[in-house]
Amino acid sequence: MVAAPIDQVRTLYRTLLVYTAVSMLVLIAGLVEFVYFEPPGQHSGLKASIAGVYQYDPERNTTIGPDRSTYPRTALFAAVVDWSSLPKDIVVDARWYDSFGNVVGSVGPATPDKLAGETAVPVHVQAPFIHLLPGRYIFVVERYEGGEPVEVIGRRVVLVEQ
Amino acid sequence: MGTAIPRAQRPVRYTVAAVISVALVLVLVASSILNYIYLDTVAGRASLYGLLVISFIALGTFTGVRVFGRDPAERRRRFIRAGVLLGLAALVWLLLVDVIVFTDSAGPSVAVVCALVCLPTTVFGLLVLRTLDRNETEPWRLVLFATAWGAVVATSLVIWAESLWQAIAIRTLVPGPGLDVSTAFSAGILEELAKGSAVVLLFLVMRNEFDDVVDGIIYGAAIGLGFNFMESVSYMTNLYAIFAPEGVGGDAAGFQWYARQVLGLFFGHATYTAFVGAGVGIARQLPDVRRKVIAIAAGFIVAIAAHFSWDAWISAFPIDKSGFAIVEIHLRSLIITGPFTAALLALLFAGVHIEGQALAAQFRSEAALGTGAIMPEDVSILTNPWLRFRQRTRALGRGGLRAYLLSARLQSAQIDLAMDRWHRERHEVDTPMDAEEDLRRRAIGLRRELAAAIATSRG
Repeated sequence: MVAAPIDQVRTLYRTLLVYTAVSMLVLIAGLVEFVYFEPPGQHSGLKASIAGVYQYDPERNTTIGPDRSTYPRTALFAAVVDWSSLPKDIVVDARWYDSFGNVVGSVGPATPDKLAGETAVPVHVQAPFIHLLPGRYIFVVERYEGGEPVEVIGRRVVLVEQ
Repeated sequence: MGTAIPRAQRPVRYTVAAVISVALVLVLVASSILNYIYLDTVAGRASLYGLLVISFIALGTFTGVRVFGRDPAERRRRFIRAGVLLGLAALVWLLLVDVIVFTDSAGPSVAVVCALVCLPTTVFGLLVLRTLDRNETEPWRLVLFATAWGAVVATSLVIWAESLWQAIAIRTLVPGPGLDVSTAFSAGILEELAKGSAVVLLFLVMRNEFDDVVDGIIYGAAIGLGFNFMESVSYMTNLYAIFAPEGVGGDAAGFQWYARQVLGLFFGHATYTAFVGAGVGIARQLPDVRRKVIAIAAGFIVAIAAHFSWDAWISAFPIDKSGFAIVEIHLRSLIITGPFTAALLALLFAGVHIEGQALAAQFRSEAALGTGAIMPEDVSILTNPWLRFRQRTRALGRGGLRAYLLSARLQSAQIDLAMDRWHRERHEVDTPMDAEEDLRRRAIGLRRELAAAIATSRG
């Protein structure tokens, strides 16, 4: 009796299925990571009051001029947050992210009471650069739980022009 | 194989291909309309008007050929010619739009320089693919079509969808790892679907040039190289524009070039989309529809996972500012994408081995038939790319350029015949039986022409 020849294409197919199983694990790991950092059911309904984004004078630690959404790269700016609008028993922070996802300015995390003296959250120029890098800057006020930010309760997007 | 298939016997895959093509054109037009409404850019307006004009011309051509063309064979030829020309028009138009989009940030001169430095590496990548495809090299026209699709069509297909996903994610998610994962899913899913659609179309329409897993990997990788080319130009010009005022624009663009065109030439889009090709190529040789669908879906899943893992976990390997950074950059690619590339190479080499064995068996069987299409002495030559090349150069020496070209066409016809025999033996063909006889006649005719060309040259 002669055994039927093994179809080698079938072997390729099975190999591909093994790769697919491993790939599914990769994608599931991605989903788990996503759920860990974006846990469902974290919507508290809280809203942080962001008064605006103003030009910032670092020497006097004050804001100048009107609320704007676009700045030249030579100007510094800061978001002004009304911390008193939030409940006292939560932990929050505020951060600026540049277009590469780097944190370029922050306060907290702490309770809103402790942040009351830091209403202006400015962006900082990253060393070794002289000015801000152009692109989209995102300002967020985040609510913490278990030491991790779980919800964005305030957000502003600012464009830094080239 | 030039035999026209009568309408009644035309395989259903042509209908599927037509549906996919229409869907892709609709996505492109919808993307342009959204660009026009929300961004109101020159590129958005140009792509919208251009695509609509090309669509109207296509409709007019189709109607005209149907009304005035009497002979079905002539009508088919005109349809193919019109389709190719209009396809090229759409491609050129989208390329123009891409040029506007990608040169917007840094200006045309920077974009031209970036494109010029990316060109040699991309060509090198294509030549490597051609070398790997040793048994039956795919025609340049299809490989270049695949590359152009990756560079022009796939990038145009995803630009709006990715922007939309990103805009929603930025407004709803907590910045940080969660947002990074979301962006990675967006890139993996949308880009692989846009690139992979070309592999599926080639599989459906160009069945004679899409034989197995090897062909799928070659087409997929070519699409990936094209996409990588355009993405490199885009990132280089964009980062140049960002960092030029700080005096390090050239460094930023240069680093991108090295990361994407040297390190990431094969460890990136070429690997990802080659997996889609592998799935489609394996599906080409499976007997039942259920397994075909599973294989194609499997190819897409592996491609998406490979792409996702790079985009999602690259930040888990931060690069030092010390001298060790150069080692870290290479290790990062090796650790994240390396396993996928190794897995792909395993499929490719296994595929080349299977294809080589099958063709050798078919060369021998055809030679034994004594039809004259393949002679017994041809078998060892046809199975070895180096001997094939030597045979062509010998023809060049004996009969000039015409003999060289005829020899190349003869080898190609003989390999096509063996491939057709292999597929027919495995019940993988949906073309009429006389297609094989056509190939046989073609090979015999070319052999005669070659002999005549050499004789004339000597005479």
